[in-house]
Amino acid sequence: MKQTIYRSQDGLEGGAPAAGVPAELAAAAQAATDPKGAAPVGPTKIAARDVSVFYGDKQALFDVSLDIPDKTVTALIGPSGCGKSTFLRTMNRMNDTIAGAKVTGRIEMDGEDINARSLDPVLLRARVGMVFQKPNPFPKSIFENVAYGPRIHGLTRSKDELAGVVEESLRRAGLWEEVADRLHSAGTGLSGGQQQRLVIARAIAVNPEVILMDEPCSALDPIATAKIEELIDELRERYCIVIVTHSMAQAARVSQRTAFFHMGRLVETGDTEEIFTNPRERRTLDYITGRFG
Amino acid sequence: MTLTVLLIVILLAAAAFVLGRRRAARRAEALTGRARAHSRPVQHGAYAMIWVAAPALFVLIALSILSGPISHQLIQTGQPEAVERLEGFRKNAFVADAARVADGEPAQAIWEPEVAQHLAPEGARAARIQTTLMWAGVVGALLAGLVGGLVAFMRIRPDFRARNRVEGWIVGLLLVCSAIAILTTIGIIASLLIDATRFFSAVPLPEFLFGTQWSPQTAIRADQVGSTGAFGALPLFAGTFLIMLIAMAVAAPVGLFAAIYLSEYAGAASRAIIKPVLEILAGVPTVVYGFFAALTVGPAFREGFNTLGRWLVGGPLDGLGQYLMLVQNQMALVAGAVMGIMLIPFVSSLSDDILNAVPQSLRDGSYAMGATKSETVSRVLMPAALPGVAGALLLAMSRAIGETMIVTMAAGLAARLTLNPLDTVTTVTVQIVTLLTGDQEFNSTKTLAAFGLGLTLFVVTLALNVIAQRIVQTYRQQYD
Repeated sequence: MKQTIYRSQDGLEGGAPAAGVPAELAAAAQAATDPKGAAPVGPTKIAARDVSVFYGDKQALFDVSLDIPDKTVTALIGPSGCGKSTFLRTMNRMNDTIAGAKVTGRIEMDGEDINARSLDPVLLRARVGMVFQKPNPFPKSIFENVAYGPRIHGLTRSKDELAGVVEESLRRAGLWEEVADRLHSAGTGLSGGQQQRLVIARAIAVNPEVILMDEPCSALDPIATAKIEELIDELRERYCIVIVTHSMAQAARVSQRTAFFHMGRLVETGDTEEIFTNPRERRTLDYITGRFG
Repeated sequence: MTLTVLLIVILLAAAAFVLGRRRAARRAEALTGRARAHSRPVQHGAYAMIWVAAPALFVLIALSILSGPISHQLIQTGQPEAVERLEGFRKNAFVADAARVADGEPAQAIWEPEVAQHLAPEGARAARIQTTLMWAGVVGALLAGLVGGLVAFMRIRPDFRARNRVEGWIVGLLLVCSAIAILTTIGIIASLLIDATRFFSAVPLPEFLFGTQWSPQTAIRADQVGSTGAFGALPLFAGTFLIMLIAMAVAAPVGLFAAIYLSEYAGAASRAIIKPVLEILAGVPTVVYGFFAALTVGPAFREGFNTLGRWLVGGPLDGLGQYLMLVQNQMALVAGAVMGIMLIPFVSSLSDDILNAVPQSLRDGSYAMGATKSETVSRVLMPAALPGVAGALLLAMSRAIGETMIVTMAAGLAARLTLNPLDTVTTVTVQIVTLLTGDQEFNSTKTLAAFGLGLTLFVVTLALNVIAQRIVQTYRQQYD
């Protein structure tokens, strides 16, 4: 988003798009929010309060408090190293797998503290699926990739049931038509975009409540990106989706809520339309208009 | 003396560097723009230095190789007639004694007076020849260095491409080093092939590969028992294979699980302890493993089996008990088990590398699905790392087959066609050692048999290594 450089201006208040916000962005944000106007934001699914993350001595995230609504796509935006991916990884406790990482504060999912000692992170991760930046299908067949979650969690009782789950997940990920005839060939043999939809299918096969996406399209070409974005929009009806993205246009297109991070702090959060047309904070405006980041 | 000459050559080379650099700098000083010197003064200096050092070193090395034969030849010619008449080996002894007498030491052998009178003058002559040769070498080396330096010096001009010339010398040096490695390998293979061919002309290949009798002791006199010897290597292959299997049964699971622990479970602290300890284990000389096997493990195993045997004797398993009571120190199990321990660090460090090469994204993907560590290891990492691990195990096998010291000390010498791990067996390497150590006649079928065995061993381990490298390589490419 570095193509447009705007001069500084002052009109940050008021209902009309603030001067400097690219018209396409504002329009996309408006369309994604809702054609009828009201933001279709569900009840709060995840509530983060004063969350800080430390990697060894280095603090990566400072006192972030954010409500993430259900059946909604929430975009986390901000320049590289701003803590958005770190925050994403607190929601399924993936930071546990990094040596020396420490999380403080409180994160509640449906009112339940996910950092509680009594909570098994393994079970949490079955409820909170994750899709990574680079497609990471396992070195197994397409079928086995999708069947991975149901198998390890013992979700199905028969082969037929498992096959049903695999088909259903691949259908929901929009991949079934393309792979139905080669379910048992290697998942790594698919194209990048197909691989990313395969890992989305893998994530939804365990019927999670939340899907976290860490820059899911940054390794894909525009056509594959468009397909994933379309898919995200469909998945919104069933899941709470949180997506980290570097693309302003993508955030505007797919999300209803946006949170802007900078230097490890949450700067501003609100309806995507609001953020992209009328940000309250100067830094947000500077970032979305491409002045830094 | 050689050391002094070497020092002088180094000093000369350093001087050539300094002078060459200065000369190049001075010649290039006034030039600018397009006429600017092609190479920097330092490169001219390096060029001059090489031209001093290379010819001088070449002459030094050539003479140090040749001076022995040359002086030998010179001393031999022109000896007095009395010495001339001596047999070959006595003549050599005379020359050695002459040198001793010239140094003021007494002669070692007792010489007849007509020969003894020549000792002192001949010794002095030999010393003179050697001194002359040495000085010729020194002067020749220094002269070669000076001439080389002069030639290089004349060439220093702003448009002279010293930079590229130096590059050429470096390429040459690297090429020579790699050529030495390759030529040595070719030489080894050639000598192996030549002697093995001689062996196989005496013993047909099928008989060697599939014969079940191994007793290489050929008689010295024709009327002795077993004068022909038997060269069926099958019992040796069986012993080698048995010990390799036992070693792999120990090393494969232990090494692999240690690698999994190290790469997936161990924290920084325990890794910092276990890794160095494994490296110590890898650094233990095999001869130490050998006497550990022969003096500690062997007796302990025998004791254990004998005790078990005493328990069983008289019971329903009486026969087994009788057998166990007679088990010896040397058995395939001991050699195999200790060899397995030796291979643990080898397997674990290779497997550790391979597991670490599996992309982190696969682990993240599995953990994010709610898999535990062991589920991730067994369902995602192992399938991903399997080709690499298979390659590592093949490499370990090839080491187990070629390992010599442990089996020599702990496996025994009896060539028996058995797969019983409690029996003493012998391996290909052990037989090569016993065939070639001690006083041996180098033309008998018995000694040549060692080359036949060596060639077989070489072919098998080479095949294993090639296959293993292939597998590991294709595996690496998969994730690059």
